[in-house]
Amino acid sequence: MGERSGAELLPGTLFMMILQTLNARPLHGYAIAKRIKQSSKGALVIEEGSLYPALNRMLVRGWLAAEWGTSENNRRARFYRLTPEGRKQLKKESEAFDHLMRSIQLVMRTQ
Amino acid sequence: MSFWKEISRRTAHLGRRSKFDRELEDEIQFHIDARVEELEKTGMPRADAQNQARREFGSRVLTHEDSRAAWQFRWLEDFLSDLRHAWRSFRRSPAFSLTAIACLTLGIGANALIFSLVNGILLRSLPFPEADRLVMVRFTPPQQPDQRLGANSGSYFFIRRHNQVFERMGALRLSPFNIGAEGSGSSREWVMGGWATPGLPETMGVSPMLGRWFSPQDTSLTAVISHGLWQRAFGGNPDVLGKKLQIDLGDVTIVGVMPPGYQTLNPEIDLWRFQSDENLANALRSPNRVFNMFARLKPGVTIDQAQRDLESLAGPLGEELEMNRGWGLKVDSLRDAYAGHLRQPLLVFQGAVIILLLIACANVAGLMLAQATSRHKELALRSALGSTRVRAIRQLLTESVLLSLLGGIGGVALGWAGLAVVTRMAPAIVPASGAITLNLTVLAFALGLSILTGVVFGSLPALQTSRPDVMEVLRESSRSTTASSSRQRLRGAFVVAQVALSLVLLIGAGLLTHSLLRLNMVKSGFDPEGLATFQIPFPRTLYKNAGGNTPTGGLLVEMTPRLNVLIDQVQERLRTLPGVESATVAMTPPLGGIPRRMNFTRAGHPLASSEQEAWNAEWYPISTDYFRTLKVPLTRGREFGAEDLATSRPVAIINNTLAQRFFPNEDPIGKQIQSGHLYDPAREIVGIVGDVRQDRFQLGPSPQMYLPRVQLPARMDMTLSFEILVGTFIMRTNSPAALIPTLRQVVADVDRNHAVTNVVTVEQYASGQLQDLRHYAMLLSLFGGVSVLLSFVGLFGIMANTVSQRTNEIGIRVALGATSRGVLALIGRQGLALVGIGMFLGLIASVALTRAISRFLWGVTATDPLTFLLVLLAMAAVALLACYLPARRALRIDPIIALRLDS
Repeated sequence: MGERSGAELLPGTLFMMILQTLNARPLHGYAIAKRIKQSSKGALVIEEGSLYPALNRMLVRGWLAAEWGTSENNRRARFYRLTPEGRKQLKKESEAFDHLMRSIQLVMRTQ
Repeated sequence: MSFWKEISRRTAHLGRRSKFDRELEDEIQFHIDARVEELEKTGMPRADAQNQARREFGSRVLTHEDSRAAWQFRWLEDFLSDLRHAWRSFRRSPAFSLTAIACLTLGIGANALIFSLVNGILLRSLPFPEADRLVMVRFTPPQQPDQRLGANSGSYFFIRRHNQVFERMGALRLSPFNIGAEGSGSSREWVMGGWATPGLPETMGVSPMLGRWFSPQDTSLTAVISHGLWQRAFGGNPDVLGKKLQIDLGDVTIVGVMPPGYQTLNPEIDLWRFQSDENLANALRSPNRVFNMFARLKPGVTIDQAQRDLESLAGPLGEELEMNRGWGLKVDSLRDAYAGHLRQPLLVFQGAVIILLLIACANVAGLMLAQATSRHKELALRSALGSTRVRAIRQLLTESVLLSLLGGIGGVALGWAGLAVVTRMAPAIVPASGAITLNLTVLAFALGLSILTGVVFGSLPALQTSRPDVMEVLRESSRSTTASSSRQRLRGAFVVAQVALSLVLLIGAGLLTHSLLRLNMVKSGFDPEGLATFQIPFPRTLYKNAGGNTPTGGLLVEMTPRLNVLIDQVQERLRTLPGVESATVAMTPPLGGIPRRMNFTRAGHPLASSEQEAWNAEWYPISTDYFRTLKVPLTRGREFGAEDLATSRPVAIINNTLAQRFFPNEDPIGKQIQSGHLYDPAREIVGIVGDVRQDRFQLGPSPQMYLPRVQLPARMDMTLSFEILVGTFIMRTNSPAALIPTLRQVVADVDRNHAVTNVVTVEQYASGQLQDLRHYAMLLSLFGGVSVLLSFVGLFGIMANTVSQRTNEIGIRVALGATSRGVLALIGRQGLALVGIGMFLGLIASVALTRAISRFLWGVTATDPLTFLLVLLAMAAVALLACYLPARRALRIDPIIALRLDS
């Protein structure tokens, strides 16, 4: 896919990263993608083709809420924020993920 | 909890879909614009930035669809869109859709029709409470375990007393009654009635809707009428109880009305009269098997247990009542007793229509594959645009199920119309045949069948067509044949199956038709054309109880002289009618009754006891002019004439078979013959006549003896009263149709107290005999014909497809000098190979399957070579035609045009 280079996302972590990104403050879709890319120093790239379907799926599940607002360059944009359920889900997913990572690291170190 | 919230969010979304779409578009646009801005900041020209942003974003449509999908009730929306798609693709190729729907209509229609019959006859529950506990008990004659006959009164008492398995029993004796309603003047009606025991309705679990059933205190002067007769004769008037009905020449009082649909037998009964135990006990030693025995099993008793119990009674019963010796007892569920004889033909037909449906399925599957060339590209395109294979298969299945549902609707309509025809052709197939309708069960069956059908014929093409070789297909040009060869093979397999299955149906139909033709060629021994008949059942006033019993225990009755006077008067009157050549009187119409058989001996020819059984002949009391009227040839001697009086020398006429079998190498004329009939004197044989098929066509000629009716003994055994108390009048005329309407008036002129019944031609009796076979042959031929038509369409389709696909190749061959014969052979070879394989397989299947109908065949075996050969030839001719027509088109291909298609 062109100049884009980036690691594949670990399966099942997209929701978690979106939740984490929105934990600090509400953002619009483009900002979410950009923030994830920046925080991972360009290692993780979310394709737009999966970002918007994922956002909508999370809206359906009630983890996010969306409202229209004004962007930094004064344009109408749709901002997503975490709902209380979303916060709970983030906690659940990051704990599970931490646990998984620790387990994997344990395995990798015992050689 | 969150699940329900989610559902409510999704549901709320349904109302906001257009807003959602707009907003999502805005959002995507914003995303791209933001990226463009960012890229421009890095110094990229605006146009390049826009291009790159768009490229990076990927398919907007896909993103949009996937985002929308998050909100949808996915399968439902997919289904709706599949449906819209399917509808559009039908509209695009109406010829394909209509052909497919027509094929399915035929297939499902035939199934709906036959299943209505199966459901109404074999599967329905009878309209009685706990009907699975109801049975009929019947007798099997010695050495004839397949026959079923009724009980005589002695055996009814015996079984009622000694059985361990029945909760209740009842018996019913059919008897036609000549009735007139009170105050209805001269109009008399002829109804089927029955003498019933008190326990009958309790056994069936039904009580009268009005009034009461008989009680032991009743006499034979009380009657219970059917709902139908109540409506017909009394207009449904509730005051009917206590009213009088004229039966024969006496009055009976109506005490009850049975509810509608209460029928235990075929034909349906309109009037029940009381058969008291005392009355029955009078005939305790009568051998007449005239009672239909019904019983209700005790709770928990199975039919097998009941069967064993009754088998153990058969021996003791024979000891106590000699006429039952050697007879077996058989317990059948009421349902089997009603419809057991229809089980096999119905199952054969159900099998036939399933074959028909399979053929239709193969046809539609073939059509769908033919469509596949164009569909393949469409599907490949969709696959390239991100549609999954599962989605494609579902799309194709939706189309096929939609097709089959449309076919199902047509099929139900067709089945409904067919059922109307069938029930009119054979109105009283089973008791209470009103249950044979296209009801909800049948509709559910048709619906299920349609869906199943759609999945069956849709899945193979769907799997085949949806194979995801995208690039190849998109590259494939319309003239290439390589990529579609496996499709072509599959279609070929369908054609093989169709030809094979059609052949099976056709051979079955051919065998039945062949039997029918053979039966029609049977010489009846008389000329049925131009014979009209009617019957007069003589009322009780013309005979009386003579008191006392016959040595075998039968009841003696005595004829009054008025009986013969009446018969003579009517016969005389008939003779003078315009157009009537001659008229005669007999006991039963030829080909229309069950002949009475009588043992006989020859004077001075004592028989060993082992021989007695074989000395048996059909026994016919007839009036003058019988042989002249029927045009039976007189071999020797003379007919009965005016000189044969009640008081003159007793005489008899025998047929050729009796003469040859029992008077070998001697002249029977002048010899004495003695029938086993009580009080019948020895008779001198005065004539020999040709053999007449009086019974069923299927039976070979049997010995027959005739005697003058006027010479019947005045006192007779009740055993014979059944037939003897009905006079059958036979007239030869040039136009029976013109005569028939006048006959009732003729009899009324003589004596208006007599009912006239069964006014029909002898040819109607004759055709009535073959009615079942004719119906079976007709239905199976119809199904066979439809299947051939379907196969023709299938074969034609695949051949036409081949020709159009190979146009280019043929063009080259013709340009290089191929002869037209060569081209025909090239195209025909493929079709003929398929037909050949199909016919071979069909032949093998037929040999295995026609055994199922061997019981209905007459004069041909289930593997009759002539029938097989003729059907094979017919099938081959149809197949050749289906191959030839498209192949001929190949001949007309202009090489120039064909080659130009290439460029």
